[in-house]
Amino acid sequence: MKIITKNKNLENHINYIFILSLIEDFLKKRGYQKIDLPVLSPVLIPESYLEVFETEFKYFDIKEKLYLTPSPELFLKRLLVQGVGNCYYLGKSFRNSDPPSSLHAFEFTMLEFYKLGVSYMDIADEVLEMLREINKKLNDQMLKLKNNNQKLKHFKIKEKNLKINFDRWEKISVVQAFEKYAGIYEMELFNHQLFFEKAKKKGYKVDKFSYEDIWSQIYAQEIEPNLGKKGYPTLIYDYPKEFAALAKLNSDGKTAQRFEFYINGIELGDCYTELIDWREQEDRFIKEDKERKRIGKINHPVDKEFIEALKWGLPPCSGIAIGIERLAMVFLGLESIDQLKVIDIVL
Amino acid sequence: MKINAGNLKKGDFVFYQNDIWQVQKAEFYAPGKGAALMKTKIWNVKKGKNIDVTFKSNEEVDTVEVESRLMVFLYKDNENLYFMDEKTFNQYSLPVKSVSGLDKYLKEGEKLYVYIFNDVPLSLRPPLSVRLKVVKSEQAVKGDTISSAKKSVTLETGAVIMAPLFIKEGDIVIINPETGEYMGREGK
Repeated sequence: MKIITKNKNLENHINYIFILSLIEDFLKKRGYQKIDLPVLSPVLIPESYLEVFETEFKYFDIKEKLYLTPSPELFLKRLLVQGVGNCYYLGKSFRNSDPPSSLHAFEFTMLEFYKLGVSYMDIADEVLEMLREINKKLNDQMLKLKNNNQKLKHFKIKEKNLKINFDRWEKISVVQAFEKYAGIYEMELFNHQLFFEKAKKKGYKVDKFSYEDIWSQIYAQEIEPNLGKKGYPTLIYDYPKEFAALAKLNSDGKTAQRFEFYINGIELGDCYTELIDWREQEDRFIKEDKERKRIGKINHPVDKEFIEALKWGLPPCSGIAIGIERLAMVFLGLESIDQLKVIDIVL
Repeated sequence: MKINAGNLKKGDFVFYQNDIWQVQKAEFYAPGKGAALMKTKIWNVKKGKNIDVTFKSNEEVDTVEVESRLMVFLYKDNENLYFMDEKTFNQYSLPVKSVSGLDKYLKEGEKLYVYIFNDVPLSLRPPLSVRLKVVKSEQAVKGDTISSAKKSVTLETGAVIMAPLFIKEGDIVIINPETGEYMGREGK
């Protein structure tokens, strides 16, 4: 790996920094408390589909394993239990084994915010407001520069992005999306046996693969390319319980209160009505930790105190994580997140 | 040979849905729910079309050992392009539609790499650039001195491209045969 200095990206980078300030202004105005957090932790939430970075603290004979956090969730939820109230983290998160690509970096900037006493759909309203405000302020800034007859040197938004209208979401449930774009009906989606048969019929390899594997392959191949393409951002909601992660289940017992949002086929954010039932969270942790061991992922200690915190009582709340480089890339009409970087580490 | 889709890279040939395809783009994609995936754009070497295919990164795909062999381009008719292997003197043909318009920039006698599988030609490896003589060029209009201005010129193969105003008949121009773009003029 090596360090690359990319001076040609300075304009994009300045615009990206401006977007960061717009996000912070918005959250501050709405009463969210900014929290700064460590990125190294001795324990993590077990998530079987993420690989982590492992490092070590050393002091004479003391040696202690530490892990770069793939998300600030384990810290923020502790604070929510302590009564911090609506809050956010805007900073780095780390995911290993993701080779750099147009949408991936192993080190990236994440916004995660939590709001008390609301469900995931209320967060959707908040996010839409935020997108609208970023869009408006970006355009205002551009107009101001134009009117002052200044060169648009440090500001450019490509035309195509102005066409996205942030007045409303295009809302579609996962069930509707699978039927509409992949011809997979509700019954087939939730019944693993029928799902395997259908996937096989469609030409997917199913032998030796799990429901989750095939589901996400079909989702990426047939669903995602259609999302956020109709002039509005798309909100796709209610994922099968296999993808519940830390989200509360719906009363149907089959789906979780999780949504993701997309612009132009690109996933930008992931929101849950947070699971507050510690027993269920503990069960999911055990399952995920087992799965991590089975597939040979780094065997980090599980954050057991997170469960203790939940026992103390996480207030009902919802939270969202948004990939900020992707968001800026979409608003600035770029093809790849690395176009935002002035210093990049590449393979 | 079987490999994991996660190891696919640009330029590889794969056997997929009973056809041979060349990988044009391969990007690892970890959606954070379910398996890590490999998003690819693959190009059908016979039909000359692209499709997007998402593989599971640990799914086995069949790669095909395709040989690229240097051959002489002999001539073309309405349907095929004809090539000869200079070592064996064997002749091969490729359907015009399999070369995605490259034939417009090919000169008889030129040496090119042909993709061969089981001694059957599949397609042509596009050369990075080709050098062709300008046979017809309109005079630049007087006073038209904008450096970015272009005019159309006809090349010895019959193809018409846009070139800078200073290009004259008899000049040798360098063309990107995949896009038909003017890249430069050969020094005299």
